[in-house]
Amino acid sequence: MSAPENREAFVRPPALELRGVTKRFGAGASAGRGARALDGVDLVLGEREFLVVLGPTGAGKTTLLRTIAGLETPDAGSVALHGRDARALAPADRDVALVFQNFSLYPSATVRENLAFPLAAPARRLSRAEIDERVAWAAKLLHVERLLDRPAKKLSGGEMQRVAIGRAIVRRPKLFLMDEPLTNLDAKLREELRVELRELARELETPVVWVTHDQAEALTMADRVALLVDGRIVQTGTPEDVYARPNSPLAARELGTPPMNLFDVERKDERWITADGVELARADAGAPERATIGVRPEHVLLDGGPSDAVVHVVEDWGPSRVLFAHVGAHALHVLAPRDCALRAGDRFRPTFDVRRVVVWPRA
Amino acid sequence: MRTEGGGALRWALVGPTLLLLVAFNVFPLAYNVFLSFTNAELVGEGARSVGGANYARVFDDPLFAAALRRTALFVVVAVGVELVIGFGLALALKRDFRGKAFVLTTLLVPMMLSPAVMGLYWSLILNGNYGLLNQVLAGLGLGEPQWLTDRDLKFWSIVLVDVWMWTPFMMLIALAGLSSIPPSIYEAAAIDRAGAWTTFRRITLPLCAPLLGLAVLLRATDALKQFDLVMAITGPNDGGTQTLSALLYQIVFRDGKVGLGSAYAILVLVVVMALATVFTRYVDRLRGAEAVR
Repeated sequence: MSAPENREAFVRPPALELRGVTKRFGAGASAGRGARALDGVDLVLGEREFLVVLGPTGAGKTTLLRTIAGLETPDAGSVALHGRDARALAPADRDVALVFQNFSLYPSATVRENLAFPLAAPARRLSRAEIDERVAWAAKLLHVERLLDRPAKKLSGGEMQRVAIGRAIVRRPKLFLMDEPLTNLDAKLREELRVELRELARELETPVVWVTHDQAEALTMADRVALLVDGRIVQTGTPEDVYARPNSPLAARELGTPPMNLFDVERKDERWITADGVELARADAGAPERATIGVRPEHVLLDGGPSDAVVHVVEDWGPSRVLFAHVGAHALHVLAPRDCALRAGDRFRPTFDVRRVVVWPRA
Repeated sequence: MRTEGGGALRWALVGPTLLLLVAFNVFPLAYNVFLSFTNAELVGEGARSVGGANYARVFDDPLFAAALRRTALFVVVAVGVELVIGFGLALALKRDFRGKAFVLTTLLVPMMLSPAVMGLYWSLILNGNYGLLNQVLAGLGLGEPQWLTDRDLKFWSIVLVDVWMWTPFMMLIALAGLSSIPPSIYEAAAIDRAGAWTTFRRITLPLCAPLLGLAVLLRATDALKQFDLVMAITGPNDGGTQTLSALLYQIVFRDGKVGLGSAYAILVLVVVMALATVFTRYVDRLRGAEAVR
């Protein structure tokens, strides 16, 4: 992986640095066999950076967070927090806050007690007044003031999530770890909290590792996105980087709804042609002979192209329409304007916006 | 499908249960109330009404007061000790280890045995002259306490046997309670720097409390009618160990005073019903709490 982009990293050690972290589970895990949840993960997080780890279910996202928090011990590799080797540190000594996907509040305790709990540890030596002040601060920030005396088990999902986040922020940790914190909430609340939490992280000037399978969260919240697939980081970069310039077909498949169109092609002169002879787009003279090309659905125009396509289904997505079509035997997704008149069964000649086509050489 | 059965079908389905209830619950209770106002005896002439005289005697009877106090002490001490030891065992056995199934099974054995038989066995073990326990104690030079005959000891001997029998029950319920606590709550606490004591007091205890409360209520109602162990270890008419049930047994079946015994029984019933009300309220509240979770 490349060196940390963050300039501060050169003066101060990064907030978090993972090198070659590997974790196996299941039968024979200790003997080096077993299913690999994490496979040589490298990750660097700068001060104040908001990193979103995006990946499908089962990619190892939760294991990654648990390893950073110290709830799991990696089988190989190193974890350093602010330049300190964290492998010997217990979860309590890492000064990280983990927000669990299932909230994990203390159900019989009130909201106030839940918020005060992390501050009550004797090692913190906080006075009653300081604790009250911090609880009040967190409650105000997350709009749960009127719930303070309610038992946690009587809260709604959104309220529970706010309290869970509140429990994480009261003690002002050095690092936030968020495990799909918005997944269990309804869409409206999710959007609201997305904005609020992004603001909050900025205000607190604390770095965040945010794990999710929701692309919208990744693209809207992240300073940097890390794509995690099958326990490996396949690409890291700004949202713009990973969206516009995926570094591999694997990375391309992870991001985008509808997904990026991918074709295995060969170059004949200045044209991209599939193995079964369908001409797709113009190619640069210097492009590789054999390649996989990718084009986002919004970069496909509806006429002027070299081959015929047939529309199978048209979905109404509100501001736009999505055409599920075939060009030759190959599936093609097109994001069309709302006033697009094409209907199922219609033919059109798709043109790829060649400036936006991504090309990966193929052996 | 018809949801409203015909009258005949309904009665055919409910009838047998109703009949059994009337025959074995309603009638005996009513008859008991009737008897409690007579001077009926186990053998002998027909009974005559004596009005409230039996009840008046109960309240004057020092034996009844003593049995009531003794039973209350028994319930509090036996159930309390069972709760503490059972919960402690459950905490110790929460983690997985080799041979856990074997240890658990062994610990549960006492609960599965018949109290009367266990009472007999324990009276052999505790026998002051040839009992196993005293042989061991004597061998160690610790003297030979008269577990079953010493006025101050025999009550506690019965408590001991009850604890031995029912601690596994508490342990079992406590284990169920412990395993229902999601591990992530403990992980959250670990990250929050909660110490072992705080974790226990703020998480383990409150989350186990509803189930433990249920277990205590179940055990308390059971201990309240303690009879078999008393019967097997000292007999029903021992001034040091006579519980309410033993006293009742003594009056009705040894002294043959059915009328008087019935009055005692009614009073015991009142106590049990009060407890049962607490019990059902508690279960209802548990269900209510479960619903909002």
